[in-house]
Parts: sequence; C-alpha cells; structure tokens
Amino acid sequence: MKLSVLSKTKLFSVFLLLCLGNSAVLADTPFEALLADETNGADWLSYSGGYKSQRFSPLSQINTVNVDQLKVMWAYQMQPTGISGAALQETTPLVAGDVMYITESPSSVTALDTRTGRVLWHFVPDITNDVLNIGFPRINRGVALLDDKVYVATLDARLFALDARTGAVRWETTVADNAAGFSLTLAPLALDGKIVVGVSGAEAGVRGYIDAYGSETGERLWRTFTVPAPGEPGSETWQGDDWQTGGGSTWLTGSYDPELDLLYWTTGNPAPDWNGDLRPGDNLFTCAVLALDPDTGEMKWYFQYTPHDTHDWDANQIPVLVDGEFEGQQRKLLALANRNAFYYLLDRETGEYLLGEEYSYQTWSEGIDDNGRPIVIPNTEPMREGNLVWPSLQGATNWFSPSYNPLTEQFFVPNRRMGAIYFKSDVEYERGMPFLGGGEQPLDGDDASGAILALDVMTGEQQWEFELQTPPWSGVMATAGGLVFGASNEGNFFALDAEDGDPLWFFNSGAHIRTNPMGFSVQGNQRVAIIGGQTLFVFGLE
Amino acid sequence: MLLKKYLSRFSALIVSSFLLLSTPLISAQNLENGQQLFQTLCARCHGMLGEGSEGPSLTRPNLVHAPDDAALVSLIVGGIPGTGMPGSRQLRGQDGPDVAAYVRSLGELPPEEMPGDAIAGAQVYRSIGNCSSCHILNGEGFGIGPELSNVGQRRTAAYLRRSVTSPEADQPRLVDRFRGSLQAFLTVRIVSEIGTYEGMRINEDAFTVQMRDMAGEIVSFEKSDLISYEKVEGHSLMPGYNSVLNEKQIDDVVSYLMSLK
Repeated sequence: MKLSVLSKTKLFSVFLLLCLGNSAVLADTPFEALLADETNGADWLSYSGGYKSQRFSPLSQINTVNVDQLKVMWAYQMQPTGISGAALQETTPLVAGDVMYITESPSSVTALDTRTGRVLWHFVPDITNDVLNIGFPRINRGVALLDDKVYVATLDARLFALDARTGAVRWETTVADNAAGFSLTLAPLALDGKIVVGVSGAEAGVRGYIDAYGSETGERLWRTFTVPAPGEPGSETWQGDDWQTGGGSTWLTGSYDPELDLLYWTTGNPAPDWNGDLRPGDNLFTCAVLALDPDTGEMKWYFQYTPHDTHDWDANQIPVLVDGEFEGQQRKLLALANRNAFYYLLDRETGEYLLGEEYSYQTWSEGIDDNGRPIVIPNTEPMREGNLVWPSLQGATNWFSPSYNPLTEQFFVPNRRMGAIYFKSDVEYERGMPFLGGGEQPLDGDDASGAILALDVMTGEQQWEFELQTPPWSGVMATAGGLVFGASNEGNFFALDAEDGDPLWFFNSGAHIRTNPMGFSVQGNQRVAIIGGQTLFVFGLE
Repeated sequence: MLLKKYLSRFSALIVSSFLLLSTPLISAQNLENGQQLFQTLCARCHGMLGEGSEGPSLTRPNLVHAPDDAALVSLIVGGIPGTGMPGSRQLRGQDGPDVAAYVRSLGELPPEEMPGDAIAGAQVYRSIGNCSSCHILNGEGFGIGPELSNVGQRRTAAYLRRSVTSPEADQPRLVDRFRGSLQAFLTVRIVSEIGTYEGMRINEDAFTVQMRDMAGEIVSFEKSDLISYEKVEGHSLMPGYNSVLNEKQIDDVVSYLMSLK
C-alpha cells in the first residue's frame, strides 16, 4: 500500500516518539533536560552542548565513511536591523525539540522550525544606534533555554526572558550601565531556577562581575565582582584606586559541575589593557578562572593564568570539564587552551594546578612553573616604540569553542598563529571611553596562519594539525562519528578525520565564518549547523 | 627585522603627515588629535599603524566606503550598516574631521619629483617595453599581471622603479574580509595528473587554489588532487627590465606610470 507523505510523516513521528520519547513539538527545557544535554544528541540545549562545555555530539549517523555526501537541507538568511556595524554573526544555535533558537547581531532572537528553516517568531529588542561597544564587535553568541523561556543578553546590557512559543517578553532587567561601557554579548547559562550572565567592558575600564537572576522573575540573586574592593581577598594585588577601573570582564559562558555544585567562570584582562605601569601587581582576579557556589556566588577557588597581563590575553576561553586518569589517578579536571598560548589542566574540585604546556608558538614565557605561574621573559611587555611578541592580542586561540571527544580523550583547538607589535601609551580614565593605554599592529599575510590542533587531553601533546590559510575565528565540534567539524575565515565549513586530521569534506559558504558548529537531529536524522556571513546553513545526509 | 620594517613605515607616516601640514585646512594639532583618537577608538580593529587587523587596512589612497571626506567623516561617526564597522558616536565637533584627516594621511603619498619624461615613457610602455602584453591599462592590453590604470595613485616612483627592474623585490598583500590575507601576486607552481602549471595565485583556501597561468587562463584546483603545490616566495612572473631598457627609458616609463592617477 502506498502511504501519503503526511501519513508517512505521522507514522515516523509516532515511531520517533516511541524511540526517543523527547521529540515532542516545542519541547520545554526543564533543568533535568539540561543535566542530560551531553548525552542527548537530538537536542542542543545550551551554548556548549552541555554543562561540561565539551561541544561534542554523541551522534554518529554522519561519520568518516559518509560525510562526503553531506548536503544543505535548508538555509536561513538573517534579518538586518539597521544598526551599523552589526554584520558579524557569532551565535551558536540551540535546538529543543523541533525548534531552533538563534540570535542575530546585535541582539535579536529568531525561532526556526528545524525541519524546514521557516521562521516561527522573531524578536528585536529596542536597541539604538548609539549603543556603546568598546573593544569588541556588535555581536551576540546565543540564547539560554530553561523551562518555557528563552533568555537573551543584549548589547546594551539588559537581560530578557522571552516566551519560548511566541517570543513575547516575559520580563527584562538591566544588568549593567551601557553608558559606562558595559555590554552583554554572551549566551547566558541556565542553572536550576537561575540565569547566570557576565559582562564585557574591560576596554572601557569597568569593574567586572558575574550575576545570577531568578529565571521566573528576573530578580537579581547575587553578584560576584572579579576585582576585589580594598580589604577583600585579592585586594593586596592592586594599588590605590586602580581596582575601581580594573577590568576583569566575564564575557564568555561558563561551565557547571552538578555533582560538585560548582560554577566555573573565566575572567578577562585587567584595565587599562597595555599599560601595566598604571596598575602594578598581579591584578587578581583578572585573566583567571573562578569556581563559584551557584547559590550564593561565593568564590570557592580561583586560578590566575596570566598575572599582571599586559597583552590583553583574557582568559575568556571555554573551560572544558573532563573526567579521566591524570598521572595514574582518576581526577575531575578543568581543561583550558588559553589565549596566552599555553594549555592548562586544573583539578576542578580544588583548583590545584596540574599541567601547563605550550601548544602554540609564543615568545613571552619560558614556561609555567610548578605553581602554575608563567616564567615571563624580560622585555616582552608593550613598549612606547613597539615590541614584537607572539601571540597577538587575539591570542593563540580566543572565545570560539574547543571540543573534547570523551571517547578518544582528544582535545581539539582552533589555533591562531600570529604575532603583533605591542605599543604602550598614556591614558586617563574617562567614563564611557576606551581605556586602553596602547594598542597593537598585528602581523598579517604570510607572517600569520592558523590551524586546527588535536591534543592529548591529559598531556597537551599535539597529535596532529590541520593548517588553515589565516588565523581562524571559528570553533570546532567533535562527534561520535569520528569527525571534527570546523570552519575558516575563507568561508569553508569542513569535516576532519579525528584520528589523523585528514580533510574528508568541505563546503564553501561564500563568506567569512566566525561561529561555532553545533549538531542535533530532525526526526532521527543527524544535522550539523554553521553560519557563514549572514546565512545559517543546516547540513544532513537525508 | 619585522619590527624595523614596521617602524620605518611609521616614520614614513609621520613624514607624510608633516607634508600634509602644508595644506592650510589641516593643522598639526588636527592631525595629532586625529591620531590620538584613532589610536583610542579605531586601532583596536584597524591596527595602531592603520595597516589592518580585524578591520581592513586604511593605508591606501582610495577607501571603498568613503569616496570623499564628508563620507569618511560620516562613516567614522555613524558606522557602516552591513559590516563590522560600528562608528564612534563619542566624537564631537572637530574630532570626526580630525580622525578623517589622519586616516586620509595614512594613504597619502608624498609629492615627488618625476625622474623622467612621462610622454616618452608612454612610448616605451607601448613599444620596446611591450608592457601591454601582460598588463591592462585604461581598457587596453592583456591581463596577466596587475592592472595599471591608476597605479600612480598607490605607488611611489621608487616602488615602481623596483617593480620595473626587480619585480620580485616587493610582495604587496591583499587583505580581504572574505578571502583573508594573501600575497597579491604570489607565483605558484602546480603539478596535477593533467599537467604542470605556473602562474599567479588569484585565491586560495585550505582546500582549493585558483591561479592565472601565463596565457591568462584561470585554472582552479582541489589541493587533494594535486601531485605538488609550490608557493614560490620572493619570485615574480614578470622579468626584470634592466637588460631591456636603458636608465633613461626606465626613468621615463616610471614617470609615465606615476602619471596614471
């Protein structure tokens, strides 16, 4: 008997519901679903694909054998708002049930049907063209999902809760004062009953913090500053009033360990960026990772990667939570490939430093000592006449995500290989203006390149590299199909063989790519997504 | 070595800035104010020397989005929709024009004495030089090397003299948002199962390369299909003209090229 298309679809849906049990249309996102996000390949419920931030897809329908048959299933062209300078797209799409949620620069949200790419709703916050974004582009990296709401943090430093079915505003709150140079560009992190956000603004001399808000009401639950006030722990690493303009932005989504009940959040550069004479000391807790009690915001431990940074090497990279055997002992680890060109392993229960290995060419440090402190080479700070140092201010990697394959214990890092001439200059703080104290002129062209690296997660040892034409701005996603998806400035979206880095498939998106790949499934069929220029592409086999 | 190169460029900028001071509308204070504001507001994306970073290089005489000074001021303050350029609304009064003047100074070339006779140089270009066999100029010629129609706008006489006598001496870069940063005229040698090719790279990504061969034909390859792919650094497909032209002819043809604006 020949079935109609509709009845075939219905039958298939019933089959899927029986098999998967969680593919109902417009599924809510309870906290329990977020806890299971890592192992649920059908959805992608949080920025990094789970609280461990491994950006790993457990799906294997697309694999090393058939990846060369990938094709575009649908595409979505983003909708310009008329806000100038908002044409770079850095969002990671989230998928819950049959709905995909993306942000569009500067801070719009769009819900799409995952089967067809058709728009379900579109939310544009009332941001004006005079919004300040000091030290970074007018971008947004995505939403958070919790229960029946979608949360977006906006460039003008507000947090919105939207109704997941309609896009209507449930509540909004002001997180920070944009006129002082604060902005929000990160995807919020949803925990049990709360939404955690961090701020941008160290280039404007803000004092950074991390906030948690009640998910139902928008009421602020706690605020933890990243630069201590006089008398607080860490204040001995600042002098005078420097702490008031000390920086320490918190502009990238953190990770969470539900067993330890610890929230991990990274911090950015001290301010002013390049003139360290104006802020003597280690400048805690800048360029660090903080472990916080998610109920109170209390700091349980910290680890500072780059004390007294003068190169703008924020530690705002993804802290990846890894469980495994380190030097013969089962450990709960926190792995981070830092902008400063070193790969670190910490014990995420105690903050103990375990490993720091150079993964990319650098000229500023002889290595990391036994306590995790870099051994700085003299005369590598910015100078008035310029000083050539590797890596550039954008670092050996940056905000774009690494990926960890727990099946093979491989850590994949998009790597920028670029030096820069660093300049130091005088600067005085002025509210709402850049507070930089210098700048850089990066080397380009044939003096710069990029790569995707595969590292042994426990040693940092490089297993292979896949060379890119220019220093990348895109993340990677490993899959259980033995693949690593990545992208390039030249517009290629590609799949590498995780075993040896061999390229197995590529696609020319036609524009600069600066997002992270993610994966999900539609009616049991695996999909991978990437944004090239202003266009979201969704790929599949069938 | 690299640092020296950049610092010498910085010095050149300062020299060209002083030259600009001779024009009555732009004072030294205007340029200094413009430079300070540029380093504060613009250098994060365009680089401290304006040579590009995440934003494009501004060390060029013609800026795509700013055909005139008014347009330049407008986009510095208001940004450019559809791009990553946000604009700087903190700029008030004379600050916008000062930044614009400084940006213009980055692409200004100092006025030069021409070494020879441009009219005679045009004859050399067409006759003994046979330059149109490889270059298009004002719509005429064969397009293997770069088009020369406005070459005098973007090069100095010393640069063009080197281009004529030692074409491999300079390797200008092409910075493109979509294509990344490439050497503009890199020679590539490619061996595939079909044949051996030498030509000028037009574009490249991690997986493919496109080139123009010596017959002017465009060829595109997937790198995985190639037997070998060589980027020939410090080489030019153009022969040096020291042995073809005498000193006066070289001076004349350089003067002719410099007149093309």
